Amino acid sequence: MSPGSFEERRGAEWVELDRLLSSVEARRPEPGVEDLPRRFREACADLALARHRMYSGHVIERLNALVIRGYKLLYRSRRAGWEMLVKFLAVGFPRAVRAEWRLFWLCSAMFWVPFGAMMASAWLDIDWIRATLGPEGMQSMESMYGGDQKQQISHLRERFGSNFMMFGHYIQNNVGIDFQIFAGGIVACLGTIFFLVFNGIYIGAAAGYVHYACNPESFWTFVAGHSSYELLGMVVAGMAGMRLGLGVLNPGRFPRGRAIAEAAKRSLPLICGAGLMTAFAAVVEGFWSARDFPAEVKYAVGIAGWVLHLVYFLAMGRGAGAA
Amino acid sequence: MEEVAGRIDTLQAIELAEGVEVRLRIAGPLLRGMALGIDVAIQLAGLMVAGFVLGLAGIAMGSLVTAGMMSLVWFFTWWWYPVFFEAGRWGATPGKKMLGLRVVQTSGAPVTFGQSMLRNFLRFADGLPCFGGLIVGIPTMGFGLATCLATRRFQRLGDLAAGTVVIYDKLQPEPSVPAPPPMASARPAAALRPEEVRAVTAFRERAGLWSEDRRAEIADHAHELTGATGQPGVSRMMAIAHWLQEKR
Repeated sequence: MSPGSFEERRGAEWVELDRLLSSVEARRPEPGVEDLPRRFREACADLALARHRMYSGHVIERLNALVIRGYKLLYRSRRAGWEMLVKFLAVGFPRAVRAEWRLFWLCSAMFWVPFGAMMASAWLDIDWIRATLGPEGMQSMESMYGGDQKQQISHLRERFGSNFMMFGHYIQNNVGIDFQIFAGGIVACLGTIFFLVFNGIYIGAAAGYVHYACNPESFWTFVAGHSSYELLGMVVAGMAGMRLGLGVLNPGRFPRGRAIAEAAKRSLPLICGAGLMTAFAAVVEGFWSARDFPAEVKYAVGIAGWVLHLVYFLAMGRGAGAA
Repeated sequence: MEEVAGRIDTLQAIELAEGVEVRLRIAGPLLRGMALGIDVAIQLAGLMVAGFVLGLAGIAMGSLVTAGMMSLVWFFTWWWYPVFFEAGRWGATPGKKMLGLRVVQTSGAPVTFGQSMLRNFLRFADGLPCFGGLIVGIPTMGFGLATCLATRRFQRLGDLAAGTVVIYDKLQPEPSVPAPPPMASARPAAALRPEEVRAVTAFRERAGLWSEDRRAEIADHAHELTGATGQPGVSRMMAIAHWLQEKR
C-alpha cells in the first residue's frame, strides 16, 4: 500500500475521529460518541502502521496529534467525591500514619526535645528564652497572657469578627507552614528538620516565658483545646517531609528520580491528612480556644482531643473489611 | 519508553497502553518561567481585586471579618490556584494555557489531583534559595531551574516527585524546507534503525531552513554514520537521505 492510498483509505475515519474528539472537548458530545474508544484504538493501530512503514511526516504527525487528544480524553482521571474523602479519613490516613510509625517518633522527638529544653530553661537559665523571643516576642507574649484579666486573650477577642479574622489567619499561616515543612523535606530532609526544630524551640520558649513572666493559666487554657490537632498535624507534616527526603537520601534499589516519585506517593496521604488536621485546629483555635469557659472545661476538652487522636491513629482502619 | 543515547532534541517518545508511541515535546525552563510570571501576575491581580472588594464589604460586615476572608483568599490563591487549574480540564494554569503548555504524567496521561498537589506544594522548595534570606524573601526559583537543567525532561523538584512533565499542548508541525536536491546518493555503511532513518530524512527535509554552518554543526553529531565532519559530512548525509528516500 502506498502512503497516498493509505491516507485515502483511512482518511475518512480520521476526520470522523477528529469530529468526535472536538465535540467531546467542547463538552457537546455528538451522536456516535460511543464509538470513540474503538476509533481511538484504530487510530493507534494506524499510527503504529504508518510509523513502521515510515510514511511521510505529515501523516504521522496528524495521527500523533489525534492519538494524544484521544488519550487525554479517555484517560482523564475521575473526580474524587465525598465518598473518597470519608474513606481516606476513616481508613487511608490512620493506616498511612501507622505505617510510618518510626518517622512519627523521629519527628515527635525533633519537636518535643527542643520544646522541653526551652521550657526547662525558664527555671534554669532564662537567657536562652530571652535570646529566642527577643524584646518584641516577649512583649507580645505579655500582652496576650499577662496577669491582668484585661490583657487576656479572651478579652482581646471581644470585637465583632475577631474570631473569624484569627481563623483565617491560622488557616493561612499554620496550614501554609505544614506545606512548607513538607516541601522542605525534598532538600534532603533539611527543610523539614529545620522547621520542626525551629517550632519546637520557639513554642517551647513561648511556653517557658509564660511561666516565667505571665499568667500560665491564661496560656494553657487557650492552647489546650487545639493543641492536639495542631501539634500532631505539624508532626504528621514532618513525617511527610522526612519520607520525601529519605527518598532522596536513601533511594534503595531504585534510581534516585524513581525513588523520589515513590516516596512522594507514600507521603501524599500524610500531607493531605496533616493539612486537614491543621485546618481543623484553626477552627478550634479561632472559635473555641479564646472563649471564656472555666479552666477545667478547657483542659478537659484539650485532653479529650489528645485521647481521640490516640484512639483514631491506633484503632481506625484496622481489619481486612475496612479497606 | 524509548531511550536513545545522546538524543539532541526534546521530543519524548512515550508508549501508550495501546502499544503505540506518541511524541510529546517537552517545554523548556524559559517558556515555563514566562508562564509562571503570567500566573504570578494573575494571582497578584486577583488578590488586589479581592482586597478592594473586601475592603468595600468591610464597611458593611466589619473590617475584622473581611480581614479573615482576605487571609483565606490569600491561602487559596497562593497554595491552591495552580492545583485546581492543573487538576481540572485544562491541565494547565492560565499562564501555561496562554503559552500553549500543559502538565501531564510522564506516561502522557492527564495529571491526577494528588500529583497536582505534590508538584505545586513543592514549588516552595523549588523557589529556594530566597532573595534576601535563605527561606524567607522573594523566591529565586534557583533549585527549580537547576534541577530543570540537570534532568533530561526539564523536570523541577516538584515534577520529579509527582512524576509529571510540562509539554507543548499542540505539537507545531515541523517546518519542511528541503535543501536543494543532492547530486549523489549513497548507501549507509550499516543498516539503520527506524529511528535513525527518520532522523536522517528529517535532516534532509528541514536542511533548507538552516545556514551552512548550522547544517555542519548538526551533521557533526552523526559523524559516525557519515565518517566525516564539516561540509563533507553534510553532503554525505544528504546522499544517504537521498538513497533512503528514493533508491530503496
